[in-house]
Amino acid sequence: MAIHKSLFASLLICLLFQISHGATKERLFSDLEKGALEVTAKPSRESVLDAGIDKLSITWKLSSTATKEAEFTTIKVKLCYAPVSQVDRPWRKTENELFKDKSCPHKIITRAYDKSPQSFEYTLERDIPTGTYFVRAYAVDAKDHEVAFGQSTDEAKSTNLFSVQAISGRHKSLDIASVCFSVFSVLALLVFFVNEKRKAKIEQSK
Amino acid sequence: MASNEEGSIGTSLHGVTAREQVFSFSVDSSSQTLQSDDPTAKFTLPVDSEHRAKVFKPLSFAKPHMRAFHLGWISFFTCFISTFAAAPLVPIIRDNLDLTKTDVGNAGVASVSGAIFSRLAMGAVCDLLGARYGTAFSLMLTAPTVFSMSFVTGPVGYLAVRFMIGFCLATFVSCQYWTSVMFNGKIIGLVNGCAGGWGDMGGGVTQLLMPMVFQVIRLAGATPFMAWRIAFFIPGFLQVVVGVLVLTLGQDLPDGNLSTLQKSGQVSKDKFSKVFWFAVKNYRTWILFVLYGFSMGIELTINNVISGYFFDRFNLKLQTAGIVAASFGMANFFARPFGGYASDLAARLFGMRGRLWILWIFQTVGALFCIWLGRASSLPIAILAMMLFSVGTQAACGALFGVAPFVSRRSLGLISGLTGAGGNFGSGLTQLLFFSTSRFSTADGLSLMGAMAVLCTVPVAFIHFPQWGSMFLRPSSDGERSKEEYYYSSEWTEEEKRQGLHEGSIKFAENSRSERSRKVALADFPTPETRTPTHV
Repeated sequence: MAIHKSLFASLLICLLFQISHGATKERLFSDLEKGALEVTAKPSRESVLDAGIDKLSITWKLSSTATKEAEFTTIKVKLCYAPVSQVDRPWRKTENELFKDKSCPHKIITRAYDKSPQSFEYTLERDIPTGTYFVRAYAVDAKDHEVAFGQSTDEAKSTNLFSVQAISGRHKSLDIASVCFSVFSVLALLVFFVNEKRKAKIEQSK
Repeated sequence: MASNEEGSIGTSLHGVTAREQVFSFSVDSSSQTLQSDDPTAKFTLPVDSEHRAKVFKPLSFAKPHMRAFHLGWISFFTCFISTFAAAPLVPIIRDNLDLTKTDVGNAGVASVSGAIFSRLAMGAVCDLLGARYGTAFSLMLTAPTVFSMSFVTGPVGYLAVRFMIGFCLATFVSCQYWTSVMFNGKIIGLVNGCAGGWGDMGGGVTQLLMPMVFQVIRLAGATPFMAWRIAFFIPGFLQVVVGVLVLTLGQDLPDGNLSTLQKSGQVSKDKFSKVFWFAVKNYRTWILFVLYGFSMGIELTINNVISGYFFDRFNLKLQTAGIVAASFGMANFFARPFGGYASDLAARLFGMRGRLWILWIFQTVGALFCIWLGRASSLPIAILAMMLFSVGTQAACGALFGVAPFVSRRSLGLISGLTGAGGNFGSGLTQLLFFSTSRFSTADGLSLMGAMAVLCTVPVAFIHFPQWGSMFLRPSSDGERSKEEYYYSSEWTEEEKRQGLHEGSIKFAENSRSERSRKVALADFPTPETRTPTHV
């Protein structure tokens, strides 16, 4: 009985957590002011960019159509997946609820808001996966809530996209170590096996 | 000579407890009939007529029984670490190799499919070459495949390597085979449960180990896409080290190594075709195949998907998701032995029928909690559901291997192999159906998998032993068919019986009388036909 009671109590506590937690998570992407910032992202070369080597020239400035400018305290610039890189990859899904949205996981830079046009030279990090991207800048208020954004592509996310090729992660030293250990493993087994067969034969002939 | 324990001759309760010794060569610690050259005297633990230990001492490393136990479960543990090493690192790997959900799912299927064949082969290898070499082959021949993760560049390579690493899950069969020849039937449920459970824990430990190793390597300066490759060297190392330990410290059978015993004529070599035929002909093998597919099978599937599930659905960090996922596998430490122990306990009270009921109960309850896990939308409830699910399913695995050793004596290895293969088959099937496409969300996939498991556990009601009964039927009342000897010697042809090849099965049949329920044992005074008891 005591077990039933404590299980029920813990379930109740869990439910309470759930309810209290849920109340604060309703901020939606569709509520944000679109196009409040004009963002451009120019790749250092026209072909597929290499992670870890190639750069992006990113600029952002206040758009003439912006209305919520008074609330801007920080600008967060992020690298986002284009729709083609989200196909069959639910871990990169675009969701309206901001806390659930996974389409912009890579942080480029965070800067305090400045009225004048800003720019940044971004070298693609070595953990950026292969894919097609655009750049988005969120304007964040003092409470760390997003209020507006601007992106380097259109609303359908089809123009001004650029492709990145990730590093392979392989290295010659790894390859060599791998071969050495593998050979050792197989050899050790063979040596034992052959040795024991020989000993058994000797036993039998005795 | 007669001890004061209940049931020895001289007290009027002889025959009542059904635990008296009815065979002439076993050792009782209080008996004084030991001769100075009695071969059983050299064993640290008390043994039965087949020199299998009657007592289980997990903290001991005594030769040969406890040592075999520890080497067996550690080998199996190491293989689980390797096979599921990729799972907690999938969020990094999928970015490095540009994998889609389909690619990840297919690799998961591949990781458990290889073992379907290797587990079958392993059963035969154990029957023919001994458990030690079975284990060592599995560990040391698949270590190169673990190291070869450093070469992978895309989905095809990833799938191929995971497929090849998966072959090492065959150590499950060699481990269970090894314990089954080293430990007596009365405690085999508990022993197999511990060996299997502690081995399965590897699937949980890897979810903690790999992210930690990954983190350490990253701190040492490697980029993520290289760090995960280096991390794979750890499971590879472990496999080689344990393989060497098995070969140097282990022993195939209580009396020695198989090759030595075979050459000296103490153990006869059996024909593979016969062993195979009798395993395949027995319908119980196939029911166990399906059952295990939906207890161990879903456990293997969960090892592959649960870390990613918590990472993606509840937005946990890689290490946190790993900790949660690890608790699933770690529950094996006590859950599977508990299942084996419960099976042994049920057998003491109700015989084999009790074992079958326990199996059905655990597996169905576990599957119901799996359905709940998929439905849970808050983290604490999901964790609770997952823990209850893990205990139910893992206990079912332990309970199943309380039944499996009794299905056949001649084809023990192959039946372990086939059952084990069933586990992998179930895992491959469930991953393919529910976790490889974008058709179902992972949450829905979990619930559907649980529902399918409930359905596929029903066949346990059809397992019937003429000498012991089944879930709903009593044992056969026919005088001949109700004897254990009849069941086990029916695996040998008349010709083979005349040659005396079935002696091992007869010994086993005598030892397996413990599977009768208490009520039956009360009414039945065992009268051995071929030997006179020492107490006369």
